[in-house]
Amino acid sequence: MGLKQLLTRAGFLITLGLLSACDSGTPAANQEATTSSEDKPARVALVMKSLANEFFINMANGAETHQKDNADKYELIVNGIRNESDLAQQVSLIEQMMATQVDVIVVAPADSKSILPVAKRAIDQGITVINIDNKFDQELMAKMGVSIPFVGPDNRAGARKIGEYLAQQLTAGDQVAIIGGIPGAFNAQQRQAGFEDAMTAADINVVSIQAADWEQAKAATIAAAILSENPELKAILAANDSMALGAVAAVRQAGRSDDVLVVGFDNISAAQDMVKNGSMLATAEQYGDQLAVFGIEYALQILESGQSPEDKNTPVDLVTQESLQ
Amino acid sequence: MSKKINLPWNSLGLIGVLIVLVLFFSLMSDYFFSTVTFRTLVNQIPALTVIAVGMTYVLLVAGIDLSVGSVMALSAAVVGVLIVDFNLPVVIAIVAGLFVGLSFGVASGFVSAHWKIPSFVVTLGVLEIARGGAYLVTSSETKYIGDPIAFIGSPVPGIGVSAALIMAVAVVIFAQWLLSKTVFGRYMIAIGTNEEAVRLAGINPVKWKVAVFAIAGLLAGLGGVFQLGYLQSADPNAGIGLELSAIAAVVIGGTSLSGGRGSVVNSFFGVLIIAVMQTGLAQLGVSESSKRIITGLVIIAAVLFDQYREPLAKKLNRIA
Repeated sequence: MGLKQLLTRAGFLITLGLLSACDSGTPAANQEATTSSEDKPARVALVMKSLANEFFINMANGAETHQKDNADKYELIVNGIRNESDLAQQVSLIEQMMATQVDVIVVAPADSKSILPVAKRAIDQGITVINIDNKFDQELMAKMGVSIPFVGPDNRAGARKIGEYLAQQLTAGDQVAIIGGIPGAFNAQQRQAGFEDAMTAADINVVSIQAADWEQAKAATIAAAILSENPELKAILAANDSMALGAVAAVRQAGRSDDVLVVGFDNISAAQDMVKNGSMLATAEQYGDQLAVFGIEYALQILESGQSPEDKNTPVDLVTQESLQ
Repeated sequence: MSKKINLPWNSLGLIGVLIVLVLFFSLMSDYFFSTVTFRTLVNQIPALTVIAVGMTYVLLVAGIDLSVGSVMALSAAVVGVLIVDFNLPVVIAIVAGLFVGLSFGVASGFVSAHWKIPSFVVTLGVLEIARGGAYLVTSSETKYIGDPIAFIGSPVPGIGVSAALIMAVAVVIFAQWLLSKTVFGRYMIAIGTNEEAVRLAGINPVKWKVAVFAIAGLLAGLGGVFQLGYLQSADPNAGIGLELSAIAAVVIGGTSLSGGRGSVVNSFFGVLIIAVMQTGLAQLGVSESSKRIITGLVIIAAVLFDQYREPLAKKLNRIA
């Protein structure tokens, strides 16, 4: 009997504890406060990929900070999926946000096709849907008769900027190599195209283009091979910083740090240090923590003006030794 | 061993938990207590529901099936590829997908029951095999199917719930009937309680255990079909960790991990509790860390609740 009573009490205590824990922790409390005011602020749902991934956590945190500074303009509900590829959970989340009658859904789709049908239903329900991070499939969008604006960095333009900066340090006819990301990935293709644009414009000779799948170790192996094959090589353009770090390691091992320049993309902290000390020439900053904010701001602008949504580019800035000073 | 019908009392604790959760979320969010929310919620659970039914049976015979998530993904992948790449009629593709699930179930059951290898180990292996198979048939890419399969997951006009949900509920009712009203059900409980005694009574537990795993496999395949209807695409990564959600739902429903005791209907309540939690927490926009901590606490709390639900149910039955 005593045990039974104990269990009963434990059950109640846990329930109570849960209730109070939720009470203090949720944004619902401040929601209540703001919805009572005269002109209702817009309700924005941010549906992310995995919130176990630093890149997306930063994005979500950036959005939450922005919301706090603009509490009169909008309310924010942030949700993410358990792992990068849990499509079903992302579809569920969007449906749940539809059920709560949000005005805006800003989504970083886990898949460029599978999330489209539910996004279309949201639009049909009158919700403004904004696409960030991973662009929806253009063909399927056309087939389904929807258009969802993509707000994100123009990787091609960013890569071109880096390439142009590099070209200033080189002379026409010089030899360079490009190390690309995962071949099928959209941003990998865009960055490579941007590099090539800049090299072609400056009459610089791209002697080798190879994919290292965004990975540092793989890039180091590939860069080493390229270096030994091309003794006249003047620069390596890597499509992200991890691969640039790998390339820098290979250049150092080959003893050609003074002759071969390396550029990357993303402005991760390790790369920043390398740019500062000169082992990397440049990288690019795409303001990852602001990517969701850009989407939200654009959505609010659409809500206010009723303009027809179009794709929108967010800034990509060159990072060099001077800019870091 | 439930001979008399004491179902309502047994489910009472779970219904209580469910009501508390619904009330709680309704108080916390302006939007939770609405037809749209509930309709959305129930249309999301068919796959987990049928998989939890299979898991209930497996736990009843003191086994465990860790492969259900992968088998679900593989079945869905097979259906998707047959429709998209081979242009086969949807019905044939679905039958093929169900057959894949059934075969994996039979294989798991046979290997573990015949060679007396713990089902934990066998299905852990099958988890990897089926996942690899899913990657293989889809070439590791999500196959978008679109309209041909959408009818399964789309709301039926006039009712608002999907065909998949109706089928899933039918599966729950049929499976509960099978468990509490047939010889098969009694054998399952007997095997889970004392397999040796069953053997001594002259009944061969191996074939019944194979049957149980076959059902779990078939239902994982059916879950795959439901998932396809819901997503309209075959995702090779679908259902990662789903086995744990299913086990959680079944255990919340009071089915014993050591076999011999369980209820399909209560597993369904377990699924509903998990779904209400997920929906409610998502609507509140609770952070990912709190979401997981709260979900974990509720699972434990629900099982604790179950501990004294049993004596209470007996008492109420005596009164009734």
